[in-house]
Amino acid sequence: MSEVRQPHLLDAGPPPRLRGHSCPTCGRTFFPPDPFACEKCGTPAGQLTGVTLTAAGRITAAATVHRHHHPSPETPFTVATIELDEGPVLKSVVIGASDADVGARVRGVLVPSAVDEATVDLRFELEQR
Amino acid sequence: MTRNLLADRPTYVVGIGLHRYQRRSDVSYVELGLTAVGEALTDAGVSWPEVEVAYTGTAQLGMGSSRVMLSRLGATGIPMSQVENASASGSSAVALACLDVASGRSDVALALGVDKPAPLSPAPGRAGIDNLEAGTVVPFTHFALLASEYMNGHGLQDIDIARVAWKNHRNGAANPYAQRQKERSLDEILADPISGSLTRLQCCPVGEGAAAVIVVSEDGIERLGLDRSRAVRVRSSVTRTEGVYDPGVGIDAALTAETGALAFDQAGVAPTDLDVLEVHDAFSIEELLYTEALGLCGEGEAASLIASGHFDIGGTCAVSPSGGLLSMGHPIGPTGTGQVCEVTRQLRGEAGVRQQPDARLGVAHMVGVGAVCVMHVLESPN
Repeated sequence: MSEVRQPHLLDAGPPPRLRGHSCPTCGRTFFPPDPFACEKCGTPAGQLTGVTLTAAGRITAAATVHRHHHPSPETPFTVATIELDEGPVLKSVVIGASDADVGARVRGVLVPSAVDEATVDLRFELEQR
Repeated sequence: MTRNLLADRPTYVVGIGLHRYQRRSDVSYVELGLTAVGEALTDAGVSWPEVEVAYTGTAQLGMGSSRVMLSRLGATGIPMSQVENASASGSSAVALACLDVASGRSDVALALGVDKPAPLSPAPGRAGIDNLEAGTVVPFTHFALLASEYMNGHGLQDIDIARVAWKNHRNGAANPYAQRQKERSLDEILADPISGSLTRLQCCPVGEGAAAVIVVSEDGIERLGLDRSRAVRVRSSVTRTEGVYDPGVGIDAALTAETGALAFDQAGVAPTDLDVLEVHDAFSIEELLYTEALGLCGEGEAASLIASGHFDIGGTCAVSPSGGLLSMGHPIGPTGTGQVCEVTRQLRGEAGVRQQPDARLGVAHMVGVGAVCVMHVLESPN
């Protein structure tokens, strides 16, 4: 398995997991982690607690992109808003999904990075039904 | 104890002017800006040496654009500053002009918005806060995702969102300052998909142009002998930035709701009192989200109200009578200033075929990357 391109955001696993932050002051758990501070209450990054989050959740919105200013990813591809099982919400490309997959469960998968071919990036894919 | 300066010292828009929004051309920004300022000065009956301060809203011209442009009216030595607040730059120029006058520092202020297309480089993307999105979630996809959520949450179809652009292109077709001056069929609006349900005509064109507003105090009106019957009062000017909301809360709508609540409270009016609203409709879904967030109607009601003509010119509240960002265009710096021009024109009863009958209360609402939200509540002279 290749190295992950963004090791500060990802733990390769298996299974791949997300690196987030938890704030001891306001109690918020969030992703991506913040190199400066908690943006809700201003607690400095040095006082935040690193947490790992399961890269699994549910699609709450989906949009298939038909026009894109960069050669990668190749269009069409589908981006979704994903509510992680542990609460935080993020957006990611979901492989094999369509606009109709709102409500579907997804999980993280490592794929060769379009930015640096020697590394891998996290994408999501539909869970087997 | 803080005060609403606009309540203490009445502040008025007395002059408006624009350079048509258009695709990128060889015209210098100096000419774009001077066209708008010249029209605003003539409209106000104010001469350039009577202007005491100038704010230029621009996000793309680079540093130092005001003096090289405005000195071509005569280098009067007045204070000039560029104002950058992303898409709300022109709105923030108006906000600072109003604050300058309301504070008593000046009696006559110019707010100008001017821009020409340039490669965008938003600072949040260079903050050193990485995420997984890596260029896959551009603004139209962010809003396509909100459209997906809205349609699924309220049992709506693509066409319910598309009607926003249908209405706004109809309005813009009658606006000589609009970049897109062509009425479109729903079939045309629904063609050419970009992202999710959003199509090309449901995304705003970003071109070039300029818009200018002259803001004065009561003393300014008296001293310069200006026409009080065309002076539109600025009841409130509110700027807010995004908070941190619980996961799943719609950030864009929440920021607008917070800003609207303050703007309406300071103006002493209710959202249902509005006759005219110029809203940040960069993407069609935004108009639905913001009319609801501002309290013009209940959650999930905006799409059916658009279909029924409630938000048409001649309806209960004309929303985006200029054509909005979707049809009038979104040249960035000018956009927010141009909204104030349109609301002023409507409240004076001078909007011609686009006139909302008996328009007494209007709002200009912009959102910018950051995110920021800037709103102005304006009242007719009658």
